[in-house]
Amino acid sequence: MEEYSCKDCKFYLPVDVFRGICKLSKEHVGPDGPLCDKMEKIAKCRFCANYSVEKDYLGKCMGITLAYPDMIASKCADFKWYKQN
Amino acid sequence: MNTDPQSHINYYGCEPGKEVSPREGKRQPTPRANEARELYFETKSSVSMEFPYWYTRRWEELEGEIPIIRRAEALKSGFEHLTPTIYPGELLAMGKASFLRGSYPMPWLSEAFFMAAEDKLYMEAQESGKLTADTFTTMGKGGGNVTKSSGRVISIAGKFGLRVEEVPIMLEVARKWKDKSVDDVGHKYEQLVPGYKEKEALMRSVICMFDSGYTLPQGREVMNYYYPLQFGIDGIIRNCEEGIADVAGYPEMDRLYFYKAVILMLEGIKQWVKNYAEEAIFLASIEKQEKQKTEYLEMAERLEWISSKPPRSFHEALQVLWLFHVAVLNEDAISGLSPGRVGQVLYPYWQRDMKNGSIDREKSLELLECMRIKFTEIDCFASMGVVGGVLSGNTFNNLCLGGLLKDGTSATNELEMLILEAGITCDTPQPTLSVLYDEKLPEEFLLKGVECTKIGTGYPAWVNNQVALEFLIGNYAHEGMALEEARAWAIGGCLETSPGSWMPLELDNEIHWIPGGSAPATSVGVHFLNLPKLLEVALFDGMDMRTGQRVFPSHGYKLNSYDEIWQAFKVYFSRACHVLTLTNNIQHDAWRKISPSLVNSMLKPDCLAKGKDIGQMGCRYNTTFNIESCGTANLVNSLSSLKQNVFTENNYSLDEYRKALLANFGYKTAQETGSYSLIDQVPTEDYRDWQKIHRQSLDAPKFGNDNQFVDEIMKDWEDWFCDMTHNYRSLYDQPMYACQISVSTHGPMGAVTLASPDGRLSGTTFSDGSVSAYPGTDKNGPYALFNSATCWNHAKSQNSQLNMKIHPSVVKGREGSRKFLELIRAYLRKGGFHVQFNIVDSRMLKQAQADPDKFRSLLVRVAGFTQYWVELGKQIQDEVIARTEYEEL
Repeated sequence: MEEYSCKDCKFYLPVDVFRGICKLSKEHVGPDGPLCDKMEKIAKCRFCANYSVEKDYLGKCMGITLAYPDMIASKCADFKWYKQN
Repeated sequence: MNTDPQSHINYYGCEPGKEVSPREGKRQPTPRANEARELYFETKSSVSMEFPYWYTRRWEELEGEIPIIRRAEALKSGFEHLTPTIYPGELLAMGKASFLRGSYPMPWLSEAFFMAAEDKLYMEAQESGKLTADTFTTMGKGGGNVTKSSGRVISIAGKFGLRVEEVPIMLEVARKWKDKSVDDVGHKYEQLVPGYKEKEALMRSVICMFDSGYTLPQGREVMNYYYPLQFGIDGIIRNCEEGIADVAGYPEMDRLYFYKAVILMLEGIKQWVKNYAEEAIFLASIEKQEKQKTEYLEMAERLEWISSKPPRSFHEALQVLWLFHVAVLNEDAISGLSPGRVGQVLYPYWQRDMKNGSIDREKSLELLECMRIKFTEIDCFASMGVVGGVLSGNTFNNLCLGGLLKDGTSATNELEMLILEAGITCDTPQPTLSVLYDEKLPEEFLLKGVECTKIGTGYPAWVNNQVALEFLIGNYAHEGMALEEARAWAIGGCLETSPGSWMPLELDNEIHWIPGGSAPATSVGVHFLNLPKLLEVALFDGMDMRTGQRVFPSHGYKLNSYDEIWQAFKVYFSRACHVLTLTNNIQHDAWRKISPSLVNSMLKPDCLAKGKDIGQMGCRYNTTFNIESCGTANLVNSLSSLKQNVFTENNYSLDEYRKALLANFGYKTAQETGSYSLIDQVPTEDYRDWQKIHRQSLDAPKFGNDNQFVDEIMKDWEDWFCDMTHNYRSLYDQPMYACQISVSTHGPMGAVTLASPDGRLSGTTFSDGSVSAYPGTDKNGPYALFNSATCWNHAKSQNSQLNMKIHPSVVKGREGSRKFLELIRAYLRKGGFHVQFNIVDSRMLKQAQADPDKFRSLLVRVAGFTQYWVELGKQIQDEVIARTEYEEL
């Protein structure tokens, strides 16, 4: 089962590698912090139909190009939500 | 200062006094800026892989494409894929990466650093996965530096944090650049330089600090914002399209590719701005507070407008300035990208907004404070040696004030007064400020500058306009520079005199001549040469006695006279300049071929007019490579000591001196004691065997006391050094010149140098700057120091650097301000180029060293830059504490 954390949420505003700010509550939150009921996934490679896992933290985009799962893909023209998501 | 002749410690270096005196009262920033600064204080330097991923991906897709087009497409892809992040309360949007203090590696410049660390990074990534994120709480020290790996974060270079999830992609992307990066290609060809092995020996011995040709291939220069301010992004694109129509198919076809590349790059920037506008609209859509919602919508409107059109207001113009500043920083590893004379560039917009009532002084001040925060957020990703050893984590965005207008009258204005005010109310390291001092500047403005310096910010630095003009005419007349144009200059980086041009900004049918940089980086050349180490190697006939390795072949001198020592030193210094100039030229040639500048080229006159990028000498002025020195006072003091003790008074033979240096005068080394100044050094059991020679070395005439014996040595060195640099030719076939700033290199360069004949001990930090006295040795007061410092003509060099530390009580109150201004004037009137001050009680610095968490916001001046105390390495902290503290003027 897929695990999510605050940094997978579209309301997460990264401040640094240790923490961020929730765009809704304005509270400081950790990137690995637990989710709340307002969570909405942000487009990331690992949520994309074009992404395939190769090994830990690495994969392929459309089976050809190197990619990594945690990259935000909201500005990627080829991003397509994986259907189970 | 302990002057007890029997004492073995604290002979030099300034000991803190008994009572702590505070700095003169500070004012507070506006609540908005204060909140932003508090957020900054809690933020760690963070690295993300977004930009390098997309850059590399696009680069690979375009195998076989014309290199400059490939580069443009890669940059475009990087820009348009950056995730926009806007922080609550911001009035200026956009940043280098998606973190507040964000930056990223640029493996196309150099990937070797990551590959060398590959095993370690993988191991740490694996191990840290087993830890919990909470362990970060142990990392309180070091300000924003991520000093060690912890939880799911890997520390890189002791400064930057990278999420574990991004370590594999960083290494994979780096691997793709193996043998293709500027570093690797340059290295392949630099080995063809005759005598190349000598270059490697110079780097191993740290006689030379780093390869500037690719490490920081741009920077220490002045930005020029004219084109986007005047034409907007779409206007520049139209200009390039016209350029293409003019040149397509004709000879000098590179112009065609340059124009096309600029268009592609601008399309990426345009989309990047639009992405921010879109994010601002999204934030407004979820915002409950009406004021913040309105601000987001206004921000979106501003960004959408400037994504294509020229700015309509001061606020929009400031946003354009910031956007292109960041855009340049995103195309290369850069430190010292100075915004230049911002108050004069933006004055027409501000004046118009003030007239029509759309802005007031309060709002202007708030905006300028916000600008300070944005500049302070800039980080430069580089290896530890560069980011720590050279830069101390600083990025040297120098904003200049004052100077003269095109017609030779004072250039100061009301907006510059507000910029100074923002520097007082919102004291942050960036942008650092410099006053281009001229006798024509009004007293009110100068006193405002003094007020700012007095609160302990370390800025503004005080720089001599007339000396700079003499230097510029001397070095750029052959490229067509006349006096009127020279007046457009500014400081690039911490203290590099950089040529500028007057640009005709048309606003409301009126022409305003605004200054802007018109030359490429001065961050390239021979950087830095360790002067005391070169003397050490000369004394040991070419050997580095720390490593036991040979650096140079025997010089062949018997060193039977002072003149022979001086000759041997000059021979080795010249050899170093020769080989390092050639290898650097090759590295930078690889840079201009593989990774040419596009954003900065587009901005700098006359690249667009010529259809040539910076690397093809598109700029109006191209004489920018320099040879940089470090440890001047220690070199001069050492020569003085040898001259007196060995050849004038015959107290010791040179062999006895060599033995004393190797024995470190009977003291433990700095590495053993962990202290890097002469204060607190620890003697060994047999220190008495060396006590006499050490004492007489310390007692030999020292630079900074208006002593003719040693000042003549200084003058000999400066006259020879400044002249000999012109014998070396840059990649652009222009003569080089002397650059005399230490930045932070006097720490690591001192660390690799044995004890020196002036009595300085092994591993301790050198004197800072180039005309600063060694800590504690200037005993005759500031005016004697000024006489020594100006014993040579500063206009022969790109700069000289004098740092002084003054106790806050000395300049207290209005009378103190006037006295302080007279002190500054006295130095500049003598022909000094630059002076900067730490107004601080050393005891406070000692407290801050012991308990850094309580001093997160404490600023100090190092050598051309202001930095948070807690983000400085101990080598530099110790040196700043030890500096002579003037308790009267």
